Amino acid sequence: MSALDYGYAVWAPIVWIIALVVIGILVLIWRSRGQKSYKKGTAQTDIFLSGTKVPPEEERHVKAENIYWGFFEALKGLYRAMMKPHTGIVNDYLLWFVAILTIFILILVLAS
Amino acid sequence: MNLKAFNRALWVYHMNTGSCNGCDIEILAVLTPRYDVERFGIMLVGSPRHADVLLVTGPVARSMEDTVKRIYAQVPDPKVVMVVGNCGAEGGVFHEAYSLIGPVDQVIPVDVYVPGCPPRPEAIIHGVVMAWVKLEKLAKQEVT
Repeated sequence: MSALDYGYAVWAPIVWIIALVVIGILVLIWRSRGQKSYKKGTAQTDIFLSGTKVPPEEERHVKAENIYWGFFEALKGLYRAMMKPHTGIVNDYLLWFVAILTIFILILVLAS
Repeated sequence: MNLKAFNRALWVYHMNTGSCNGCDIEILAVLTPRYDVERFGIMLVGSPRHADVLLVTGPVARSMEDTVKRIYAQVPDPKVVMVVGNCGAEGGVFHEAYSLIGPVDQVIPVDVYVPGCPPRPEAIIHGVVMAWVKLEKLAKQEVT
């Protein structure tokens, strides 16, 4: 049997596989002894939510953007102002670039 | 009572439908070391889907009607409903309150009543044993 001996530990994949198979069989035996009197398709197999009506699955789903909800809520004013100039048109972005560059040059020229 | 030995542990889901908490405190007393029903395998569970017995305290408040029906439907068969306290049995001191549907048996079928305001822990234990006897009868009926 192939086994790696590190001196302080042994890695034997065959032993691991056998152990997992044995555990799997034990779990299946245990599961088969469980409660069988549930009536499938009735409320007995519904999700328990402290007795409240369970909303449809799409409404239960927590979107990834919910993580940032607090940031969006706190910085709503800033985001609203920032999103206005973001039109998605390259000409607009170039116009912004030229305008800001002009302001910087003017400041530099006037300051010197 | 022909109960000689318990075939299995009895799992109970406790639900308060509008009780003043007096009965709930007595139910907790049943679980304390003085009475310690867990030694018989009787224990409270956190979901009706794991329960054999639905234990209800208090009269049914209007806002709780749907919840009571939903939770009753979620208990697997065979199931037994047990009402602890006068309020759940017949309304008790709240029987004329505008916010109540009424006693528990007006919303779901009840198998065992434990009267008292609140009932003593010994009475609750007796009620649980009665529920157990009924549950074993129901289980036998399901098998045959």
